[in-house]
Amino acid sequence: MRYELVCGIETHIELATNTKIFCNCTTAFGGDPNTHCCPVCTGQPGSLPILNKKVVEYAVRAGLAVHCKINNISHMDRKNYVYPDLPKAYQISQYDEPLCEHGYIELESGKRIGITRIHIEEDAGKLVHENGYTYVDYNRGGVPLIEIVSEPDISSPEEAKEYAEKLQLIMRYVGISDCKMQEGSMRCDVNVSLREVGTKEFGTRTETKNINSLNFIQKAMYAEVERQTDILEAGGSIIQQTMRYDDVSDMISPMREKENSDDYRYFPDPDIIRFQIAQEKVDEIKSSLPELPFDKLTRYVNELELPETTARQMFKYRRVAEFFEGALAEGASVKNASNLITGTIYSNMNTEEDKELFSVLISAKQFGELVKLLDEKTVNFKMAQSTLQQMLESGKSAGDLIKKEDLAGISDDDLTKWCQEAIDANPKAVADIMAGKDKAINVMFGHIMKQSKGKADTKKAESIIRELLS
Amino acid sequence: MAVTKTEIEKLAKLGRLRFSEEELEKFAGEFDDIIAFADTINESVEGGTDEIRSVGSQLVSFEELREDEVILSLPNEKIVSNVEDVNGFFSVKRSKK
Ligand SMILES: [Zn+2]
Repeated sequence: MRYELVCGIETHIELATNTKIFCNCTTAFGGDPNTHCCPVCTGQPGSLPILNKKVVEYAVRAGLAVHCKINNISHMDRKNYVYPDLPKAYQISQYDEPLCEHGYIELESGKRIGITRIHIEEDAGKLVHENGYTYVDYNRGGVPLIEIVSEPDISSPEEAKEYAEKLQLIMRYVGISDCKMQEGSMRCDVNVSLREVGTKEFGTRTETKNINSLNFIQKAMYAEVERQTDILEAGGSIIQQTMRYDDVSDMISPMREKENSDDYRYFPDPDIIRFQIAQEKVDEIKSSLPELPFDKLTRYVNELELPETTARQMFKYRRVAEFFEGALAEGASVKNASNLITGTIYSNMNTEEDKELFSVLISAKQFGELVKLLDEKTVNFKMAQSTLQQMLESGKSAGDLIKKEDLAGISDDDLTKWCQEAIDANPKAVADIMAGKDKAINVMFGHIMKQSKGKADTKKAESIIRELLS
Repeated sequence: MAVTKTEIEKLAKLGRLRFSEEELEKFAGEFDDIIAFADTINESVEGGTDEIRSVGSQLVSFEELREDEVILSLPNEKIVSNVEDVNGFFSVKRSKK
């Protein structure tokens, strides 16, 4: 029998607000246990939660970035369940009036993965299990989250990974979260079921919770599909349950905790007034969104005519793209600016994280000035590279680093003189060049570069040498 | 359903409260009254959650929501002052499953 995969993903993303969703405690990561807490986020009787404006704004940003419809009126619900990470014995979430609905993310193939809804809710505390005790830290309790629920439109582990990757990139771009899966600011729950090819009905699904890397999404799905296929082929049936993926053993297994009681007895939270966001405000937020990453990629390739590989190296990191575009605004050329970024600047940045942060000592304007010197051939590429390196290390401008006499340029007379000297001093190289061994010309460049202190344009020198030899 | 004195004793233990015999008797009666009062909700809420929502049909505008400004949290000693704590954590004995 042949099966096809049906998958939907629920993604939790921690919003980068300063304060928690219902109180003024900091959302800072870490800290000593229970030091970012107050009566509200520890659920003390009589305390009153007050919704953070920024949380609503960020969730609307997220929704608009993935083409959602924004509900102008929305409210919070209580989701009841008893567990020590939840001091009130309920989580404040949204049930039947989520802030955003009906969006999508488009994959490279053109296929759209629907987004059912995006709602806001509070995070739970952190539990440490040790020696028969559970130790609870509520610093994370009340940190704002959005939950993004996809339609079951995903039909392969590769599509699942691409969906999550795109979602991460878009959410980083609109500035609502750093979406670091390893640190838990983005976590995915993956729902997987199988059905016979050709049938319409969904099979029983399982949910693999809290996956914390893009690669593990794919691996966990392979493991779960294999497990379900084995069961179905042996004539068994799938039990609806929550699974856990262990990346070390690459194994998937049911979670011990009974987390399948799906009756959360949702009801509207009477402590929090229903809220309204005017359409004008939604439109204002929409117009404040930056160009979205995949629109940018398309523009880089189609309008700036960047090679796709170069465009892909830059569009992913919002700060890099801003720096690049800042230099273009200064009048720098696309080609030289992109080559210096992906060459010299990236050689100083070893990790994805470095590029994401993109902390450089120079401004886009300073960079643009240097690129222009290169565009005008006042400096050659090699010199631009070394000057840029010095700029990155010192924060100085090109004008301060390149000496006046260096900038004066090289006269054609000087260059011709040095070319002639090089020819005279290297008879063997001359013979090689005449014999068609083009590489021999590099021998000549040594002399010319020494005389010109590295400023000579080698292309120009080559044409002079060839002329002198002809 | 009447709340018994034994149940009050259990709740007091969970809440780390100590009461005299007299108080226990008194609370048992008061608990009955409180539950009876809560039961009156059954009579008024027919439409379930929609009914509850219409009670709070008030709306707050986006502009009136809370500004995102940090105020210092409570010191850890205060947060854990009424609980069994270990190194600043709340500690819970795990129930056997
Ligand atoms: Zn708090």
